[in-house]
Amino acid sequence: MANISISRVKREFAEVVKSEEAKRCGICIKMLNENNFTKLLGEITGPPDTPYEGGKFLVDIEIPDSYPFNPPKMKFITRIWHPNISSVTGAICLDILKDNWAAALTLRTVLMSLQVLLSAAEPDDPQDAVVAKQYNENIHLFMKTARHWSEAYAKARPIKTQDFHEKVRKLSETGFSDDSCRTALSKSGWDEQRGMETLLDS
Amino acid sequence: MESDEEGIYDVESDASINYNSSDDGIYSEGENTAHGEANDFMDEPTSYKCLTSDQIFNYMMKVVDEVNAILQLPPHITCILLNHFKWDKEKLMERYYEGDQDKIFEEAQTINPFRLKGKVVSSNTNNITSFSMQSTKRPLTTQEVCDICYLPSQHMNGLQCGHFFCIDCWNEYLRIKIIDEGQGQKIACPANDCNILTDYETILSLLRGSDIKTKYHQRLTDGFVMSHHLMKWCPSPGCSVVVKVTTAGTRNVTCICGHAFCFHCLQPIHEPVRCPLLKKWLRKCNDDSETAHWISANTKECPKCRATIEKNGGCNHMICQNKSCKFDFCWICLSAWSPHGSSWYNCNRYDANDSVAARTAQEKSRAALNRYLFYCDRYMNHRQSLELEHKLYSKIKFKMEEMQQHNMSWIEVQFLKKAVDILCKCRNTLKYTYVFAFYLRSNNQATIFEANQKDLEMATERLSEYLERDVTTDELSNIKQKVQDKAKYCEGRCEALLRHVYEGYDMDLWEYLDE
Repeated sequence: MANISISRVKREFAEVVKSEEAKRCGICIKMLNENNFTKLLGEITGPPDTPYEGGKFLVDIEIPDSYPFNPPKMKFITRIWHPNISSVTGAICLDILKDNWAAALTLRTVLMSLQVLLSAAEPDDPQDAVVAKQYNENIHLFMKTARHWSEAYAKARPIKTQDFHEKVRKLSETGFSDDSCRTALSKSGWDEQRGMETLLDS
Repeated sequence: MESDEEGIYDVESDASINYNSSDDGIYSEGENTAHGEANDFMDEPTSYKCLTSDQIFNYMMKVVDEVNAILQLPPHITCILLNHFKWDKEKLMERYYEGDQDKIFEEAQTINPFRLKGKVVSSNTNNITSFSMQSTKRPLTTQEVCDICYLPSQHMNGLQCGHFFCIDCWNEYLRIKIIDEGQGQKIACPANDCNILTDYETILSLLRGSDIKTKYHQRLTDGFVMSHHLMKWCPSPGCSVVVKVTTAGTRNVTCICGHAFCFHCLQPIHEPVRCPLLKKWLRKCNDDSETAHWISANTKECPKCRATIEKNGGCNHMICQNKSCKFDFCWICLSAWSPHGSSWYNCNRYDANDSVAARTAQEKSRAALNRYLFYCDRYMNHRQSLELEHKLYSKIKFKMEEMQQHNMSWIEVQFLKKAVDILCKCRNTLKYTYVFAFYLRSNNQATIFEANQKDLEMATERLSEYLERDVTTDELSNIKQKVQDKAKYCEGRCEALLRHVYEGYDMDLWEYLDE
């Protein structure tokens, strides 16, 4: 790892730890292994007034050798229902992680941009086409599904998606895992019949 | 031929460097031209010259200066503007004097030097060169923290947009942009959301190391060269020379690196065939259309499921191996097998309507494949010969040294090298005559062409044979006469063939097959 990249990540760490703003917004960065600055773990708290409110979303961060001249590689570890984030792999579609990366951006600013992305999705430039379609066609169902995923995966306080939990539980009695049942149901607009078909087709 | 030519070019390129560094820096067309190779080819009355990356940079600066005589801007800003307008001087002038000037600077991603904050700049040219450097360096009294590495530095640099970074980070950033991403003109400020482009003056003052500077010169001039239809980069790997022709008609050029290529399509020289046909031919050779030909000539489709089947045994009772098909059919007539075994066997009866259509299609396909293979075989063969004959140069060198020990002067033995030059040129021409012939529809002129081709081929083979074998055994006194005779004849045949083909182009005598 090039010198500049290590010293930069170290200083960024200091910055995130110090930063009041980061604490207030609920952002933090941890090392996965001691003194390994190439594999990091980011955590974002779901922003208020969104279906992600109160959820803890973990982000896998990989620092390339050429950092900060090339962007860090990031993807969601916590499963999330969002048009710009793959519901399967957690891959993120965000311009500053690709072409619009600038060396003066930091891990903190990227995590904050991710947080902003959670509150303002861009369905016209989707990463997950199924989610984006639902977002455009039935925003209420999207909101509820996203909330349900936050409750199921991001430890958000359960409030209003009890019926979805029930549907997942019922479908999983067939022997499929909770995760596959949830994905299948989400993709088929929570219609149990179509959810079952989706499960069997895959 | 190559080393001889190189000598000439080296002298000339040196001359042009000297010429360039003179005060006015004006480049005159027709100076330093390379005549040697051009004269060898019959449709090349024109000339061209080779420019190194420094020369091309100077040439680009000359264009910038021309425009600057009118615009009176700092040259690095003019360079960005010109690049934005794809080096169309007239368009830039028109927009600059008719439209909103601020908008032009914004579009070109630079800052209007007359509007720098807190700075009143007169349009006096004397000030112009000094103020770019003033604005890119801050006073060295205070230490600041670089926004990229977060380390304090005394050497902070930036563009007019006001984003400052330390010199180490600048170098690392530029290295990634120039070497890894191959950018030159379009490198923006590293700050977030800042699209102001770097200018060559700042970059050249920041860059450390001559390698990267050379690379930067090359990348910087890339847009300039590409927008100029009379200039092209030499396509040889690692070569950074630009070939500049004086007229658009020039085709065959040889770079100072020794690589000879067609100026139009950048392929190696391919007389007598023209660029579009060559392109078609190369595509044909590369893609798998010939695989498709082979398939249709050697396989049949299952009449039920259309799976492609190659016959691997003598029995004509076929059972389709496609698991969901398992159709039984006759390989000969492609109809169901059941009547063959039991009731009435009518496979032998010639049915003019039925299977004939399929069979003629297959025959056509087979004939087309054979025709292609015929020409391709000869093309490949000459290509291989050409590669092998390049080895003759070293063999001939021995012979030349031997002859020099036998009372012959250096100049007297050069005929041998000349002969190999001619041999290679004829071989190359022969190779491409087969491409030309493949697309040629036969008519009287085509017959004459084929006769010329035959003569050239025979002459070339005779010369090749002599140079490869007999030259080692023949008596020294005989060699010169024989080699010169054969080479001369070969050269004459090659010229005759090319002249005929080019006459044909001019008079529209050639008809092509639609392949």
